Amino acid sequence: MPPAAGNGLEPGFRGVICVSFGSSDDTALPDTNGQPRYDLHFESATAESLSELKSVLSGSRVGVRLILAGPPTDIRAAAAAAADCGLLGEEVTLLPQETGPRFVYCPHCLTTTVDEAAGTEVKCQGCATTLTIADHFSRRRGAYLGYSAHAEEAA
Amino acid sequence: MSSTIIETDPDAALLPERIRRFPFPFASDTYRYSANVEPATKTAPTEAGAWGAHLVDIDEHYLDELAERAKVLTRDPSRVNVLPHMRTAVWDALTTLLSSMAEDYPDTMSFHREGNICRWRNGLQNLEVEFTVGDDSSLPEGPLRFLGTQIQDDIILLDIREDTLWLDAGLVTFAADWSFAFDVGMNFLEIHHPVPRVKEERITSRAEQFLLRLQPGEQFRRTNWTMTIGRRMDTSTETYPEWGPDRTTIADDPAMPEKLHLRVEVQHLIRLPHSGALLFLVRTHLLPLTDIARVPAWREKMGHVLAELPDDMAEYKGIIRYRKAASDWLLAR
Amino acid sequence: MTAIALQPRVHPAVEGGLQLEVTNVSRETESIVSITMAAPEGGRLPSYVPGSHLVVQWGNGVNAYSLTGSGNAPSEYSISVLRVGEGAGGSLAMHRLCVGDRVYVARPRSAFAPASTATHHLLVAAGIGITPVLSHARAAVERDSTATMIYVHRPDAGAHVAEARELLGPGLIALVECTDRGSFQNVLAEALITQPVGTHLYVCGPVVFMDAVLEEARGHGWSSARLHSEAFGAAELDAGEPFTVHLARSGVRLEVPAGVSLLETLETAGQSIPNMCRKGICGECVLPVLRGAPQHRDLYLSEQEKAANNTMMSCVSRSNDPELELDL
Ligand code: HEM
Ligand code: FES
Repeated sequence: MPPAAGNGLEPGFRGVICVSFGSSDDTALPDTNGQPRYDLHFESATAESLSELKSVLSGSRVGVRLILAGPPTDIRAAAAAAADCGLLGEEVTLLPQETGPRFVYCPHCLTTTVDEAAGTEVKCQGCATTLTIADHFSRRRGAYLGYSAHAEEAA
Repeated sequence: MSSTIIETDPDAALLPERIRRFPFPFASDTYRYSANVEPATKTAPTEAGAWGAHLVDIDEHYLDELAERAKVLTRDPSRVNVLPHMRTAVWDALTTLLSSMAEDYPDTMSFHREGNICRWRNGLQNLEVEFTVGDDSSLPEGPLRFLGTQIQDDIILLDIREDTLWLDAGLVTFAADWSFAFDVGMNFLEIHHPVPRVKEERITSRAEQFLLRLQPGEQFRRTNWTMTIGRRMDTSTETYPEWGPDRTTIADDPAMPEKLHLRVEVQHLIRLPHSGALLFLVRTHLLPLTDIARVPAWREKMGHVLAELPDDMAEYKGIIRYRKAASDWLLAR
Repeated sequence: MTAIALQPRVHPAVEGGLQLEVTNVSRETESIVSITMAAPEGGRLPSYVPGSHLVVQWGNGVNAYSLTGSGNAPSEYSISVLRVGEGAGGSLAMHRLCVGDRVYVARPRSAFAPASTATHHLLVAAGIGITPVLSHARAAVERDSTATMIYVHRPDAGAHVAEARELLGPGLIALVECTDRGSFQNVLAEALITQPVGTHLYVCGPVVFMDAVLEEARGHGWSSARLHSEAFGAAELDAGEPFTVHLARSGVRLEVPAGVSLLETLETAGQSIPNMCRKGICGECVLPVLRGAPQHRDLYLSEQEKAANNTMMSCVSRSNDPELELDL
């Protein structure tokens, strides 16, 4: 496996860029059918790692494909960054780990909370409201919608 | 289906304008979701009067609602968003709607365009401005915020690509229990994911096919409804902690008939001429039960609709805790 | 001579459209003329989406031609017409138009729109296919986006070449003209492997040309959502075939002409049919069919319902058989 970041991508790359996050194992990435392949690994989807991904993508050319593997929160953030660069849905493959934290967006204070438990409620890290996690997902935010869980309970 | 002939009540002429022009949405004693779209700007008669002759409807609440919108935007700027590729669509929406208003209200409004230079006069606001299409800095706060100061409608713009509609821009301060800021960037089916029944009944997929086939310049409309406690325009998910608690107390409130409103959205679907984007306008009308009850046919239809509405729909609309009280009151008149 | 005299009735495909006056006719090449039209009373015409086409009536027929402007608040519409064969398809009639003639046109229709999220546009045209591609190039310039154009034409026979060259600048960053097959192959192959991520490709020209370009692009890994093509001149003018309806209860027979819906025919005959959208989606105008196979063109009925052939939506659907019998 070639070393990950920093190694530089040949200009005009049109093969498959494989990005893994966290502990996810690179070898879990699928075979690329003989297409040229470039591997990247990041601990998580931070501002720095996403900007590195964006610069790799903007150096590549139409024809490129992207495979993202790892925790759902990370790969969704990376997919949103790829969309900003002009990649289309059909050019990006998501391989989310079965389990992992979720992001929950709180419309009451506009912060996004990381939910480690897989329950139906979470406490907002921004305004401490207990949020019901709705079955409503935004790809752009990589987050589920939360809303005040107890607003309709008699005071 | 709704082939019922609507006859205006002979006493209707005595009713106040807010009732005569109200877009009462029920054609019969039951209500189900359907792809209820029709050509825009066709006058729709009701038992109390008529509505719908104009694309942009201006009524007695014009200045109040615009002031309310300004307050909401100051408190929460997340109610406006324009993804960068939607700039052309925003200008397209602005020029389309201002010229439509100038045509419909020639006594108070005028719009002139010479190349990209436009002049807009709005006598209701003592306003005269000149701006340049495509130059965002030619209007204070940009073209979308400006449009939001001229019309009462919430404004949503959908891009069309990959055979799908994408909600990529808008200014929404009067949402009925949804979050615009959260929905930005979603496609048509994702937006409607929380709505019960519509997937099974293929309503959203059919509606989307219909919208994708609209040609630039075509304009359609539909209505949707729910109920709101108080004359509260902003019932977004953002402020749900403020207004949600009212839902638990209204049924036992002696002032329920004055406080509880039928909330009707007149939604316009317009394929814009130059950008090809879909403009979705949502104009919210609120009328208290006391006013509904002044039109016997409305009182009865609404009373029956509320009583009969299936629980999943009543739950989704957030009216399940008080719809029986409202229905009982209407039908006991 | 005014064209009106030659146009005894308004073709259904342009009904509800505009009547324009020819304000300029100019020869682009030996076989291509550009025709400019404006409202007789002056003023602005409806804006249109770049890459749109205009349906124009000639005599009793209609044809679709691409508009060459950017579509932003135009005061005139310009099309360019290639004379084909003996001109039976209307191109000869179009070539005969003179300044001052009146023509009926429909509102511009969009079927080849630019992708708003594209980071760059690769425009590929052959021959008369330049027309919608020129519209795209103009729009890219106006909208501060960027485009590259590859234009294949016969030596000294390129329509709109001068206009394309004038657009060169920060918007149209390159214009490559090819006058032979070999050089085009090389230019295209090079272009297809060097476009920045986010580029969309638009191609217009003869069908075989477009197929070849699209095929090659796919071979280089272009996903289909990046590929846009305009089957030149092929607009769906689905006026449909005429047919007869037999109303079983009243025993009445009605002719449904091409371009007129069954719903309209019934309404004209005094029947009142519930309806709302008149677009085949709301479900209001459903009618029971007793005999014959409807040509279902609606979005309302499910596939099973359509296959059963015992209901139809009268606002948009027609008939596959010469006659339908309805339970009316
Ligand atoms: C193209 C523009 C449209 C947009 C942006 C839009 C957006 C929305 C949104 C945000 C909601 C609330 C969903 C939630 O709870 O989060 C909604 C509800 C709904 N929409 Fe749409 N919609 C559009 C067009 C349509 C059309 C054309 C139809 C049907 C023909 C339709 C049918 C419905 C229905 C039935 C509901 C449930 C409403 C209720 O019970 O209160 N929508 N829509
Ligand atoms: S009128 Fe709506 S389907 Fe025909």
